[in-house]
Amino acid sequence: MSAAAFQALFARLVIDPEFRDDVRQRGAAALDADLTDLESERLLFVSGDPGMDVTRTLHKGFRLSKLMGQLPLTCAALGKEALAREVAEFWRRNPPVSFYYLAEAVAFCDFLAARLEEGMEAPTPYLGEVAAWERAGLELQRPRPEGEAPPLQVVEFTHDPLPLLAALGRGEPPEPTERPCLMIGGYDGGKVEWRLAEDAPAV
Amino acid sequence: MSENLIAIPKLGVGLAYQPALRPFLETRGDTFDYLEVVPDILWTDLGSDKTPRYIDDKDGIDFLRRVADGRPVVPHGIGLSIGTAHRFNRGQLDQIEKWHGWFQFPWHSDHLAWNLAEHGVDELNAGVTLPLPRDQETLDALAPRVAEVRRRLPVPFLLENNVYFFSMPGEEMSDAEFLNALCEQTGCGLLLDLHNVYCNARNHRTDPYRLLGELDLRNVVEIHVAGGMEHEGWYLDAHSGPLPEPVWELLRWCLPRCPNLGGVTFEMMGSWFVDMGSDRLVQELFALREAWQRWQPVPMHLAEVAA
Repeated sequence: MSAAAFQALFARLVIDPEFRDDVRQRGAAALDADLTDLESERLLFVSGDPGMDVTRTLHKGFRLSKLMGQLPLTCAALGKEALAREVAEFWRRNPPVSFYYLAEAVAFCDFLAARLEEGMEAPTPYLGEVAAWERAGLELQRPRPEGEAPPLQVVEFTHDPLPLLAALGRGEPPEPTERPCLMIGGYDGGKVEWRLAEDAPAV
Repeated sequence: MSENLIAIPKLGVGLAYQPALRPFLETRGDTFDYLEVVPDILWTDLGSDKTPRYIDDKDGIDFLRRVADGRPVVPHGIGLSIGTAHRFNRGQLDQIEKWHGWFQFPWHSDHLAWNLAEHGVDELNAGVTLPLPRDQETLDALAPRVAEVRRRLPVPFLLENNVYFFSMPGEEMSDAEFLNALCEQTGCGLLLDLHNVYCNARNHRTDPYRLLGELDLRNVVEIHVAGGMEHEGWYLDAHSGPLPEPVWELLRWCLPRCPNLGGVTFEMMGSWFVDMGSDRLVQELFALREAWQRWQPVPMHLAEVAA
């Protein structure tokens, strides 16, 4: 199945810039697969073709637009520079596996939570809670088999969530005030509904 | 040319569905004769290890039924990845079969490309349609798959010519030779995307009329048109607004020469609708209908085409 190996490497040229650069530098030695001579020649050729760069730009643009569409407030809370850095690292660890990007957006929120836990320098003090809130919203909207209800979502905030989320939604820099509380989300009548609670809910 | 292309109904002008177009579709049903839909956006594939694997968007499907109001709903898939070497995405075919039960569409289509590739225990999805080498080996790999699609669905199956930003060494055929051989050897029809033809011609400095002149236009069942944009010296198939004049000229050239044409579909990404606006979209769709009515459904006689 050298055609399958050829396509696997071709897709990596599009997705993985480190691999593409390695192929450009080391040539056929970087193509670790059972390929025909013509397949090797084609991969070496396209790795250096400017058309590969624009193909990669389109791939990245599509993938990033899906993330920004699903997590607009998290992306705003990250800011341009940190977003570019964190997305690049997330993509390095997680190649794209599905046309359905909700799962990828959820995984990106988990990635950010882990990075914050590891001591990542957060560009804003509210990044973790905003990402957790958007992640919970995606969980509530995740397509499920008929009859399966989404689990209740509880998100812990240390900043007042209503003005914080509203300002991010308007594209304005928030001026967060401290207010430890919970946002509790449910799915009712085809809509996600949130309510604010000062204390932990009785579960 | 496949026998089943002769009975193609003349639908007229179609609009490609995007969720952002919902208000437009609800209020301007007078502007389109059929709806084309990427069906993959109205279901979620949870993966082959899940049961059920697919979750259908019932609200979305009900919406389509309502706004189509008896007019055809034609699926244009992006998930078949018919050129993928390591497996054939039969789950996608199951879904299209289900859609045929719901919508009884007169044809369906996907892309002459691939986007899924092997990756360890998983599978990569490049998220963009990647080109296939134009050679006999590719056609040999595609033939049994097209045959399977045609066996399973009783309506013509079309493949769309792709945009590509590079050619590969050792290709045996030109674009036109490859598309003609594809239709002849597999029995599929052609979804001729004129904006893709324009993109490729512009980026690779080739003559689009040479390609069209060499193409067996009897295989063309549907035409796609769209707008695009420049990016760092490349012209992109961005579906970002009205047709550029050269694409109008290609369309005017093709319309009288495609005897089995069933429709012309305007494609636009939903995110560009705000820039284009409702009035401009109406204007574009009415202009397409005027062109359609001028040249179809009475196409130029085949003898004239040959001449």
